[in-house]
Order: sequence, then structure tokens, then C-alpha cells
Amino acid sequence: MRIGVPFETATGEKRVSATPNTVRRLKKRGFDVAIASGAGQQASFSDQAYQEAGADIWEADQIWSESDIVLKVTPPTKEQVEQMQDGSVLMGFLWPKENEELVETLRSKGVTSIAMECVPRISRAQKLDALSSMSNVSGYRAVIEAAYYYGSFFNAQFTAAGRVDQAKVLVIGAGVSGLAAAGAARGLGAKVYAFDVRSAAREQVESMGAEFVEVEFEESGDGDGGYAKVMSDEFIAAEMALFRKLAAEMDIVITTALIPGRPAPKLWLNEALAEMKPGSVVVDLASERGGNCESTVPGETVEVNGVHIVGWTDMPSRLAPTSSQLYGMNLVHYLKDIESGSGEVGFNLKDVVVRSSIITHQKEILWPPPPLSEIDPSSLPKEMQKAKDTTKDASASSTSTKATPVVTAPKTSQKSEEPRSKGLSNKQMTWLGIAILWCLLLVTSDKSSAGESTIIFLNHLTVFALSCFIGWQVIWNVTHALHTPLMSVTNAISGIILVGGMLQAHGTSDSAASILGALAVLLAMINVVGGFAVTQRMLKMFRK
Amino acid sequence: MEQALLQIAYLVASIFFIMSLKSLSSQETARQGNLYGMIGMGVAILATLLNSQVDQYTMILIALVISSVIGYQVAAKVEMTQMPELVALLHSFVGAAAVLVGFASDRSMGQEGGHVASSLYAAEIGVDIFIGAITLTGSIVAFLKLKGQVSGKPLLLPNRHKMNAGAAIACIILIGIYAAYVDQTNFYNWGWIALLIMTVIAGALGAHLVFAIGGADMPVVVSMLNSYSGWTASAAGFMLDNDLLIITGALVGSSGAILSYIMCKSMNRSIVSVIFGGYGANAGTAPVKPALTAEEQAALVVQETEAQQLAQDLLNAKSVIIVPGYGLAQARAAGSVYQLCEDLRARGTKVRFAIHPVAGRLPGHMNILLAEANVPYDIVEDLEDINDDFPNTDIVLVIGANDIVNPLAQEDPHCPIGGMEVLEVWKSTKTIIFKRSRNVGYAGIDNPLFYKENSEMFFGDAANSVNEVVTTLRS
Repeated sequence: MRIGVPFETATGEKRVSATPNTVRRLKKRGFDVAIASGAGQQASFSDQAYQEAGADIWEADQIWSESDIVLKVTPPTKEQVEQMQDGSVLMGFLWPKENEELVETLRSKGVTSIAMECVPRISRAQKLDALSSMSNVSGYRAVIEAAYYYGSFFNAQFTAAGRVDQAKVLVIGAGVSGLAAAGAARGLGAKVYAFDVRSAAREQVESMGAEFVEVEFEESGDGDGGYAKVMSDEFIAAEMALFRKLAAEMDIVITTALIPGRPAPKLWLNEALAEMKPGSVVVDLASERGGNCESTVPGETVEVNGVHIVGWTDMPSRLAPTSSQLYGMNLVHYLKDIESGSGEVGFNLKDVVVRSSIITHQKEILWPPPPLSEIDPSSLPKEMQKAKDTTKDASASSTSTKATPVVTAPKTSQKSEEPRSKGLSNKQMTWLGIAILWCLLLVTSDKSSAGESTIIFLNHLTVFALSCFIGWQVIWNVTHALHTPLMSVTNAISGIILVGGMLQAHGTSDSAASILGALAVLLAMINVVGGFAVTQRMLKMFRK
Repeated sequence: MEQALLQIAYLVASIFFIMSLKSLSSQETARQGNLYGMIGMGVAILATLLNSQVDQYTMILIALVISSVIGYQVAAKVEMTQMPELVALLHSFVGAAAVLVGFASDRSMGQEGGHVASSLYAAEIGVDIFIGAITLTGSIVAFLKLKGQVSGKPLLLPNRHKMNAGAAIACIILIGIYAAYVDQTNFYNWGWIALLIMTVIAGALGAHLVFAIGGADMPVVVSMLNSYSGWTASAAGFMLDNDLLIITGALVGSSGAILSYIMCKSMNRSIVSVIFGGYGANAGTAPVKPALTAEEQAALVVQETEAQQLAQDLLNAKSVIIVPGYGLAQARAAGSVYQLCEDLRARGTKVRFAIHPVAGRLPGHMNILLAEANVPYDIVEDLEDINDDFPNTDIVLVIGANDIVNPLAQEDPHCPIGGMEVLEVWKSTKTIIFKRSRNVGYAGIDNPLFYKENSEMFFGDAANSVNEVVTTLRS
């Protein structure tokens, strides 16, 4: 099949959907590749470089009308689609919700269209995830733009002429772009703080070397089915108060909160903006969708009270050579996945990835897709087969740890975690209550001799049950590294049976009971001494 | 009054035991945990000795002294690689002690100073001996298997589940008979014979249950026996009307149960299937015949590497993860690996260890072996903490591990290790596998990891291989 790569006509778009590198890979898979003349120019890829990689250089119209597969970055225009053949394929960022007319044109022309932003966030599709690869670039670029407008160094310096303070950077939203920004800012030497409503983001933030900031509020940001739930008004008020407080200390604020299909949430309000020092910078990575900052002007950079608010909407495009390469590879991986022969592709609607991202096919509109679990349960990772799908127009829960560029991002894992209990849950409280009740009942119940041994038995049973409960609570907190010492300590403690032996060893010294009892003491004591001694040896070995 | 003091002492001992277990939540507090345990045990023993019910002091003290000497000697001399066997053996002692105490109770029942004969008491004795016998023989078999004196292959007799069920039912009936004859003052009565027969059957049952479990499941088995030894003590507590035994037994029992559960989850086996000796879908770990013929096997190409090349790769690597397996213990290569680790860290390379929950033959076994080799514990990480870091890692060294890094577990739900969580080492830039030969691992299946493009094999004895690399790096 013939792949065609047109010039990106969207204003200011410098990316191209294939680079000489990806062309070589596509050729290896058996595809013929044609590039529109000058398509890669703004991404520093010359026509000659493409030719050397094995591509043909065609005219723009030819690409649209003669290609079997057209690879795009931004959505095409209606006119461009009109030129496409029946049965040809279009792959790119399509945003079907905002481009209904385009979708209809694609349908009527019989084009099979794939929207790269609709690829589901599952482990095996990580290589195809264009949203993540572009967010990664945006996050990095956001820091560069911030540094451009910021009037000082990011790192602290102690020079003969005096001291320069370290810049403080706040990243709001610990998704792919947030984490990338955190990493880049750290790399430049700034002190980085990152905020997210999901407490699970803490680990990821800390792994980037940043400090996790959260609202002091007893409310979980993680909702059902993987999405953060809508936070209560009280929480939001606390969140805004936190931001106002931080605004006075932060030199640079990078916001990355996006909600698929909806306008970006307003998080950095004017009250917070007013608290910022002159010379500070706000980079709003959500400006394309209206922006997280109230004063953002999408597509422009403005200055408000001495604070620069960067609202560029083309961050990936600013790193065109690399974003083109990364995006191009996402496309290559997608094509590899749907290969039906050398240089041929087919669309299997039972494949979760295909079904979620296919918009039009054979003159029908297949978008939005049904819930993931209905497409093909067996093709999903085990964890997801039990997941409740709660979305229609947004990407589904991810089992990868690269979170989405959304503050209200899906939970990163559906695996049921070990109950590392730190307190008592409702269920545990109930059982405790029942146990105590039972004790009370026993105390006040009938003490006739007939029922006495039964009561004694029940008393013991109560003690037993309570001890199991306590054991359960305590043992879960033992760290995995200490499981062997745990076994040897519990082994030593189980030697307590020697108490039983001792109690039996009475009466005459040659009675069966005494001999048996003493023997039991002997055996059990070996456990006790041996167990504690061996545990001591093991624990002494652990050093940092 | 004396009873009250005794109860208080027991309560104190119990609290110390609970604190002991709680302190094992981190390496920093663990050592005082052991101390708490010792104090608790000390209080318990002392309090019992002072109990007026106890009078055979000479015999008891002799027993205590002899056993202390034996116990201390054993603990001082055992090698960390022999930990699994030792733990198994010690469990059998608890089982034996419980059986002995059970019989002692039987002998003293109805006698002067003994417990009043009653069916309930008899039943408690029966249960105590039942659990004790299973623990005793099961642990001995586990010990033999771990030592290698008994084959690691599971013994899968036909109709084994029916036999186990039959044995359990027989034991219940026999305990019932024993309880029925409990009023007889005749020494050798049917009841007592029933009890003896029950003990033998329970012993056979215990041994059989463990015989039916494959070597790879040993970590779970040992945890389970650990649990049983706890329930044994609790049963003795019911029998002897002693709350301390009940409480302590329950703590130990829960501990073992939780460890077993964790092991089973990590291997994606159901705990029921392991307890009942291979009942259920993944029946035991019977080796699966490789799907390829011998020629096809030989034709599978692996990339090989050796010290010079690996040393060069390591010099260029910024992040390294080492995955140890039981083979590392067997080859006694922990010390060499520590050397390599330190040399690399001195050069600024980030080195970490990735521990799979069922690596080794005991839960936490690998951690102990590494600690013994002086590896600092903050670079030793669990599967769940480190599994996502492989894509960012330059080199992974897999030493003596096989099934825990086998991608088939993720790709083929029907293979013996299907569904088991594994360390995703193939996602790193390069994986080096240290192996003695191309033989299959415990589960008996081949490992596609070896044939991946970014994998290289380093054949030879692990200790020698690692030493070679260390020497080359230093020169």
C-alpha cells in the first residue's frame, strides 16, 4: 500500500507526520511512501533526506488523491478530504467531537479514519499513545518558555557578586506533561513542587525529584472506574486557598490540567495571579482548551501586573523535529499492529485499540466506541476485564503508570492492593463491635454448671477470634524484606507450646504425662532459643 | 490471687509478642522487635514456672538447658542458604510438642491434678493432636524436600483428593470414638487405640499433602506450615484452658496465613489449590513438555556474551538492575555480586536489586542472602516498586533466576506459570542472563526471554562469571 505524507497546512504547524527515519521503517515493513514536496521543511527535514530514505516526492494534490493511507498531524480540511479515494485510510489527530462536518465528509467519501488521540491508554498501546508523546514534549517546552520569560537563573548561584536564589517552580497536574515539566525544571536546577488531586501521583512526582503538594483535606481525589470524581465545593475552596498561598512564593507556575472533551478547568484564578511577584511566569499548557488560568489568552503571551502568562497552543510544534519523530513512531507502531501482510493493513474491529480509535469505516460512523469491556473482554489485561467503564467520550483507565495529562486522570492501577491497613475500616470496626458484644453477652449469660464448660469454650473462642484479628492487622505492615525473619520470630514464639508441656509435667516424675510434658518442653525450647538467635543473626545483617 | 497474677503475666507476654511482630514493619525497628519477643517469652516461661500447678522442676530445667544449648548451636552454625530447611525442621518440633502435650493431657485426664474427663475435652485433645501431627510430618517432608533428599517433583497419586478427604473424615470419626470412650478408666481401651490410629492417619495425611506439592511451591508450603504451627499452639490452648497459648498461636497462625496468601497471589495460584496439594486448575507444577522438538530447540538462537564485552557494556550503563534468583544462592555468588554492585556504584552507576516475592525457597529469602552479603537494604526493592522502572534501565543482570522473569507468564495463560506476576526485565535496553546451561527452570518450561533480541546469555557458574566481570572492570 502507498502511504502519503502531506504538508501540514494548519497555521503555525511545523510538524510533519513522517521523518526520514520513520520512512525507512515504513519501507522496511513493505509500504511505499510518498512525501509532499517541502512537507518536512519546517521540521528540518529536506526533500533530499526523504528521498535518500526511500520516499518519493509528490505534489500536494497527488498525495491526497493517490495515497492508500494518508498520515496527518492536525485534522485535514474538507477540501483535502474531498480529494481522497473511497476505501483509503486517514490517520491523525482528528478531534471528532469538534469536527462533526469533517467526520461526515470522511464518512461520505468512504474513508477509514483513525483518530490518534482516541487510542486507549492500555499497556500494550503505550507505543501508539500520541497524546502522551506530545504531552511529554509540551512539558519540556513549557519549562524552556518559562525560562525565556523569567528574569533569573533557575539554579541557585553563589558568586563573588552575591547570591542568586533558586527559582521555585509549581507544576499543577502530575500527568505526562506535568511530570516532564517537573523533570526539565529540575534539570535546570529549580526547586520543583507538583500538585495533583490524586494521592497516587505522589510517588511519580517524587520520582522526578519534586515535592508533592496536596490540599489538607480528607477527600480522595480518586473516583470510580479510574477517573477522579468531581470534588466537593469545600475541597475546591481549600484548593484555591492553597494556590493563593503558593502564588506568593512561586516564581514559575506551569498548569497542565485538561479534561478530555470539556473546557479546561479554571484553577489559577485572578486572585492567585494577583499574589504573584512581578517577573513571575505562568505557562498554561491548557490554553488550547481555554486555559487553566483565568487571564490566559489562547495562542498569545500576555503580561498582567508584571506577570507573563504564556498561552502558546503549539508547544509540540516548537520542537518540530523531535515531535515529528516521536509522533511518526506512534504512527509506525500503529501501522505495525494492524498489518495484514507486507505493506498491507486491515482493520479488526474486535481489537480494542482499533475499535476505540476508528472514527469512520466503510461509509459508516463508528465513533464513539462502545465501552472497552464490550469490544473484546479477553483481549484486555486481566485487571481491566473487571473494570467498570464509565466514559463515552474520553480515554479509558490506564494500566500504565504514565498518567494522562489531566489533573482528573484515571487511576493508574486496577489491581486490588494489599490492605496496608493504617487504621480501622468500617468493616473492621463492625467486626470489632461484634466481638465486644459477644464478650458482654458471655459475661452476663447463664452461669449454670451445665453450660459452664461451653461458656469457657466460647470465652476461648472469643479470645482466639480477637487475636486473629489483631494478628491480621499487625502482620500486613511487615515489609517484604523481613519476611524470613518474621517466619523465624513467629517460629520462636510458637515455641510457647512449652508452657503446655510444663503444665503437664506434674505429679510423679515417671508418670506418662510428666515424661511427655518434659519432652515437649525440650523440643519447643529448641525452637525458642534457636528461633530468636537465628532472627538476631539475620537482623544484624541488614545495613543501609 | 495467684491465678490473677498469672493471667496478668500472660497478658503482658501477649502484648510483648504483639509489639514484637509490629516492630518488624521496618529494618530500623526490627531488632528491638526480636528483643520484645524474647522478653515476652521470658515472662511467659517465668510465670508458668512459678505456677503452683507445675512441680517437676528438675525434669523441666534439664529439658530447658539441653534444648537451649542445642538451639543456640544450631542457630549459630546454620548458613543463610539453609534457612528454608531450618525453618521447616523447627516447625516440626512445634508439631511434635503439640502431639506430646496432647497425649500427656490424655494420660492425665481424670487423674489426680488432671482435667475432668469430658467429651469436649476429649475433642479438644483430638483436634490438638490432629493439627500437631499434620504439622509434624508435613514439616519433616518439607525439610527433606528442601534439603534435596526427597525429590522436588510433586507426588501426584491417583485419587489423591479422595484419599485426603477420606483421611480427614476418618480422623474426625476416630476422634468421636475417642470422645465416646472418655469415661473408661481402663488404660488400653478402644478410645485410646482410636486416638493412636488417628494420630498415625493424621501424620500420613500431613506427609501426603506436602509430598503432593512441587518444589517451586515450597515458599508457600513453608509459610503454611508456619501457620499450622500457630494453629497447633492455639488448639493446645483450648485444650489446656490457657489463653496465652491461644493468643500466641493465633498471632503466629495469622502471620503464616498472610505470608501464604501473599506468596499465592504472587504466583497466581489459588491458596486452596496449594493447601490441598495441587487441587484445581494449575494442578501442581508438573513439568510441561516443551512445545518444540529437540532440533527446533537447538535452532533457537541466543546471543552470547562474556566478561570483556559485559564489562564494557556495564561501563557505559547509567542504570543497572540485578535480579537474583535461587540459583544465585546455590552458586554462592552473593558475595561476588556485592563486589560488582559496589564497584559499579563507586563509578556513579545507579544499581538496584529487584526481588520477586517467590524468588528463593522462603518468603524474603533473597533479602536475607543479600543482607548477608552486605548489600545495603535501601537498594533492594520489591517487584511492585521496581517493575515499572525496567523501561528506563540500561542493563539488567538476571542471575540464577528463570521463571520469575519469563514473559510467558503474561503471554500464555495456560502455561504452568500463566498469570503469575513477573519482573518485566525484557523492557530494559539490554538483559544479561547468567545461567549454567540451557536447561529449563523449575516449572519445566522454556523461557522466551533468552531468545529476545535485546537479551544475551552468559553461560557458566554464576560466581565465576561475576568474578570475571569484576576483575575485568577493575583492570
